[in-house]
Amino acid sequence: MSANLSRLRHTHGFDIVKPLSVAVLLLMMLPLILLPLASIFIFGMSAGIDKFWDSLTAPDAIFALKLSFVTSFWATVFNLVFGLFAAYVLARYQFWGRNAIIVLISIPTAIPTAVAGFALLLLWGPYGLLGQYLPDDYRIMFTPYAIILANIFVTFPLAFGVIMPVLETMDRSLEEASATIGASRWQTFWHVTMPALRGAIVGGALLTFARSVGEFGSTILVSGNLSGRTQTAPLYIFAKFNEGQVEAANAVAIVLAVFSFVIFSILFFARDWLEAD
Amino acid sequence: MKYSICVLFVAALLFSACLPGPTSSVGNRTITVYAFSIMKESLERDIYPAFQEKWRQQHGEEVTFNSSFAGSETITNQILQGAPADFAILSIELDVQRLIHAGHVPEDWWVTAQRGIINRTPFVILVRRGNPLGITDFADLAKPGVRVIHPDPVSSGGAQWSILSIYGSELKKSEAANGARDEAKALETLRAVWKNVISTPGSAREARTQFETGYGDALITYELEGMLMKQAGALIDVIVPTSTIFSEHPGVVVERNISAEEREVVYAFRNFLWSDEAQKAFVRNNFRSSTNESFDAANAGFVKIEMPFTIHYFGGWEKAYPDVIDGIFRQQVKDNR
Repeated sequence: MSANLSRLRHTHGFDIVKPLSVAVLLLMMLPLILLPLASIFIFGMSAGIDKFWDSLTAPDAIFALKLSFVTSFWATVFNLVFGLFAAYVLARYQFWGRNAIIVLISIPTAIPTAVAGFALLLLWGPYGLLGQYLPDDYRIMFTPYAIILANIFVTFPLAFGVIMPVLETMDRSLEEASATIGASRWQTFWHVTMPALRGAIVGGALLTFARSVGEFGSTILVSGNLSGRTQTAPLYIFAKFNEGQVEAANAVAIVLAVFSFVIFSILFFARDWLEAD
Repeated sequence: MKYSICVLFVAALLFSACLPGPTSSVGNRTITVYAFSIMKESLERDIYPAFQEKWRQQHGEEVTFNSSFAGSETITNQILQGAPADFAILSIELDVQRLIHAGHVPEDWWVTAQRGIINRTPFVILVRRGNPLGITDFADLAKPGVRVIHPDPVSSGGAQWSILSIYGSELKKSEAANGARDEAKALETLRAVWKNVISTPGSAREARTQFETGYGDALITYELEGMLMKQAGALIDVIVPTSTIFSEHPGVVVERNISAEEREVVYAFRNFLWSDEAQKAFVRNNFRSSTNESFDAANAGFVKIEMPFTIHYFGGWEKAYPDVIDGIFRQQVKDNR
């Protein structure tokens, strides 16, 4: 029977399962992802394009978007350097406690982000474990630097997680060849290892950046949520929603939605491009 | 490879220029205000600009306001964790007590003619337009099938006012009828209403947003919220209970966070809140005046309440919190759902 069916499906060189399964996939995505996203666009635009533009160009909205991008950028730079270094050390050397370190790096993935924010407050807050010894001018919490710290914590494992498997499965014969013709470790790393990691580095960076821009739970605790000073885009959206200004919230939400679309499109195409290189 | 490093370098330069550094204030004053959720409109629309103008005329300096709005308990917790508030406007006096306890606010903060209270507003019930469920008083919220939205007393001061309002209104009414406060009846009403609560949002403002999106049949909240919603064209009716509480909102200087040179402007701002100009601005923004009741006549939207009462009916917050919020609500209502 099943043999008959499979023959039937392939008659005239047409596989009916293909369009069917694509349709099922899209149908599943429709209520879960696509419709919620669509409603942001519909409500954001419902008051007209002028209102949308006004909401978007409000000084606090612009500031919030800028603050999100800047703090996310620095968190990404740090986590990329860290992730690369950690992946290199852990992939190249075997030592006692190696697995424990990998587990430690991965911990932030499963910690609720609000806990991350609270943990930072308990450590660096003005009355925190270490924060109480900081001079007043160097308080970190409730400044943009606190947002960077929170972003670093929350996105800590992402870049590492992308780079590590590539490094582990990399063919090491090229590195060995490089070493035998007299290249220093640094030269080998720079000219042989790094180019092979390009795709993973770009991927890890974009993933970290995108995740940072959307971060909410930890930021609301450590930033102080002061509009125009420490209010990031997700906090702005939440504040506007609570004020009942749904258009203003949606305008910024649309920017973030478009942004993540762009990020993942880049990710998709850049990977092919970099790896074909 | 080299190309991408150049890109990264340029990006780093661009972004580092954007990072807001520590704000230096030369010839410029900054006041950081943490206020409970419903204060937003009145401060931003009227109070801040009026004070900025006044200070500019008197001192020739610009005052910048930074503000953060959330549930009263939430902002109190943030300040206790070190949030840089210079001035706090809280929904309940008990939060001030917590700040005093941690050494953020001096104990004599209330030694002003208004006992630290900057404005007030009574508690009302909001229902859908036309009042389809026929709600006339708190007790009606206990009817089967009524879905009540009530903010969470853990994070919201408004929620605690609301509990005191439901409970106190029964005491007040029974006292008017038979000369004695019927505590058993009050407990029963509070319990029955609480059984119908379907959602406990974090602040009065969050509760309103939830109600506005179409969830629930009734919302207990500040009169001001009902007036704002009506002005915004929401399809609601305001139901005035026979007896209800006037919430009174304290404004305090967070002494611990202000430096000697900030002191003058922060205290000037506090005192400004009790000026006739500011009190009239509060009335325009649907708060009732805490200094002069005759100002309230300027706002035609205010409802008339038959049997109003305040926190003093319970003997002040120092008795109301342990007796009603903790003793009655937490121990006999919430855990007995």
